[in-house]
Amino acid sequence: MHKIFAVVRREFVERVRKRSFWIMAILGPVFFAAVFLLPILLSGASGHKHIVLVDRTSSGFGTAVAKTLDSAGHFTVERLAGRAGIEDSLRDLVGRKELDGFLLLTDSALETGTAEYRASNVSALEDIAQLREILGRLAVEGRLTRLGVDPGLVAKAQVHFRLTTQKITRGKTTGESAGQSFSLAYFMSVTLYIALLLYGVQVMGSVMEEKTSKIVEVLASSLRPFQLLMGKLLGVGAASLLQFVIWGAAGRLMLSQRMALMAKMGGGAGSGGEGGLFQVPQHIPSSTLVIFILFFLGGYFLYSAMFAAVAAMSGTEQEARQSQAPVTMLIMIAFFSSFAILANPESNLAVALTLIPFTAPIATPVRWAAGSLNWTEVVASLALLIVGIVVVTWVASRIYRVGILMTGKRPSVAELVRWVRTA
Amino acid sequence: MTQPILVLDRVTKRFAGHVAVDSLSLVVPPGVIYGLLGPNGAGKSTTIRMIMNIYVPDGGSVQLFGEPGGRDHSARIGYLPEERGLYPKMRVLDVLLFLAEMKGMDRRATRPQASQWLERLGLGDWAQRKVNELSKGMQQKVQFISTILHDPDLLVMDEAFSGLDPVNSQILKDTVLELRSRGKTILLSTHIMEQAEKLCDHVCIIARGKKLVDGTLADVKRTRSGHHVLVNFDGARGDADRIFGDRRLATKADVSGQFAELELAPGADAQQILQALVSSGARLSRFELAEPSLNKIFIDLVGPDAATPAERAEVIDA
Repeated sequence: MHKIFAVVRREFVERVRKRSFWIMAILGPVFFAAVFLLPILLSGASGHKHIVLVDRTSSGFGTAVAKTLDSAGHFTVERLAGRAGIEDSLRDLVGRKELDGFLLLTDSALETGTAEYRASNVSALEDIAQLREILGRLAVEGRLTRLGVDPGLVAKAQVHFRLTTQKITRGKTTGESAGQSFSLAYFMSVTLYIALLLYGVQVMGSVMEEKTSKIVEVLASSLRPFQLLMGKLLGVGAASLLQFVIWGAAGRLMLSQRMALMAKMGGGAGSGGEGGLFQVPQHIPSSTLVIFILFFLGGYFLYSAMFAAVAAMSGTEQEARQSQAPVTMLIMIAFFSSFAILANPESNLAVALTLIPFTAPIATPVRWAAGSLNWTEVVASLALLIVGIVVVTWVASRIYRVGILMTGKRPSVAELVRWVRTA
Repeated sequence: MTQPILVLDRVTKRFAGHVAVDSLSLVVPPGVIYGLLGPNGAGKSTTIRMIMNIYVPDGGSVQLFGEPGGRDHSARIGYLPEERGLYPKMRVLDVLLFLAEMKGMDRRATRPQASQWLERLGLGDWAQRKVNELSKGMQQKVQFISTILHDPDLLVMDEAFSGLDPVNSQILKDTVLELRSRGKTILLSTHIMEQAEKLCDHVCIIARGKKLVDGTLADVKRTRSGHHVLVNFDGARGDADRIFGDRRLATKADVSGQFAELELAPGADAQQILQALVSSGARLSRFELAEPSLNKIFIDLVGPDAATPAERAEVIDA
């Protein structure tokens, strides 16, 4: 036990001492924040626009549009009569950045519902949406008036219908929207995928280091390879858990402060959009966190043991990178099949994926977050995962035991089988 | 007789296709420097790895400290493998403490000893540096410290002096001798006979996995002395060439100018040769019944063909 602990400590301390560990710990949350905040910031940060309205309408439509746009606050509008050739001079102004854009209105706008907006930036979704909304509203009003209907009356009769979604999870209404649980599940799937790969490769590197530096021979004469393997998995696991806790704490802090953050960064309130697929969850339930951590650890042990075996049977880093393909492939299958789960969490495929140890580490947390799992299924999934870990670790430690002392050519599959049987 | 530190009883190790160690038996008494000698590929490292429980013998047994061998004894053994290696990115002191912990030592209690050893071998200023900032020679010294830091009763050094410059080699020798004077046992393998001759009390010469001879250095030499004659001429050589060529007298003669080293034929008497030389008119400045050098014994035993190592099998059947 003392020796395992010493190995654990070495792995942990050496890792945490590295600058790259803290860079990862800090960059992780920044990266995730960027993924969530950037689109919001980009769509919200278009600022004030100075535009010209080229009015070729004979009714008062152009005047009404200019007035409404101006009072909407987002635009400063200058209305000009539509003399010939004005487009060219305006285009030059836009080119010199003295003007943001210009809107061309003709009488046909009311008939066909079309107009033209030329600007230096026509991908500023917020601008375009506001223009379209105001033009559409005024066009409808104009057409109603022409038909002899009071627009005020119509406005009164109109209702903006809102359909709110509330998720029923395990018999309880959670107050989460469908969008929120989807994004939480998606977010967990990505995080688990990255983490399993990242830390698995770290274990692999650690085994390679001992093998290529030849220190493994001294170690092998001092403690059982299984002790060494366990110490290594626990040590790297502890370091990665620490990183996760840092990420988790930062993530929760950012979630709780996100309104303030967004306001500070100039994003419009609620610009995430209510009906959108991606929504920042209001909070992450503790049960979800527990399951996330449990299955992360399970997956970590399962895959890291395999990565360790791969490293042990390889002579060089390069060889290890080649031989890791089957293991990486398994993680990728687990990751990509989680999309199928998100699409239909109740399908037979989804159920199977939660029960197979190789896919369970990603599938089960995803299905849990999507709300289609009860505790019995979680326990069954976890139990099978643990059985999987025991079997995989047993096989891996036998390959590891022989492999770490081997040099020269990579073993064939037949040789690997022999190692496992005779080790 | 005191209990041996190490007993190998007919240990055998086969790798895919060939026998690396073939029914090898040897006994290492306590408090000696024991040399395991042999050409490259003779099976020295394989033997040592079986002693260290890295390889499991296919046949025979290993006994350490009077008990069946195994990893349980690792705390009492210091091991310097043929291929040296430390964690390149760790600090020197941390590596030493970690390796001591692997031998069951307490981290805190070992710290002063580690610093002391580093001081003693001139590495005091390097304790907090990373291993890969050290020169090869310094790394070797760090590794040597790691093998003796836990004060083992048995020190096993594979190719003990390879890659060391004369100064460090001397430091290592002095330390090894000091350990012996404190009652420790040292088993070292080498193919450099001059070093073995100066250092070892006991030797075991192996080639192609088989033992050729073992015993105390003195015994090994004595059983072969009396058979060796050193002759120096002082000008006239008389009929020396004919006498040396007589297979009834000498089975072998290395003649180089004024000097010759003869191996007596079985049953031949050195006096006969002396008489024959003198009566043929040779003038001699030296005629000596000598002990052969270890190097000579080694080459005679091993033969020129055994010095080419058998193909090394790299795949292990553990």
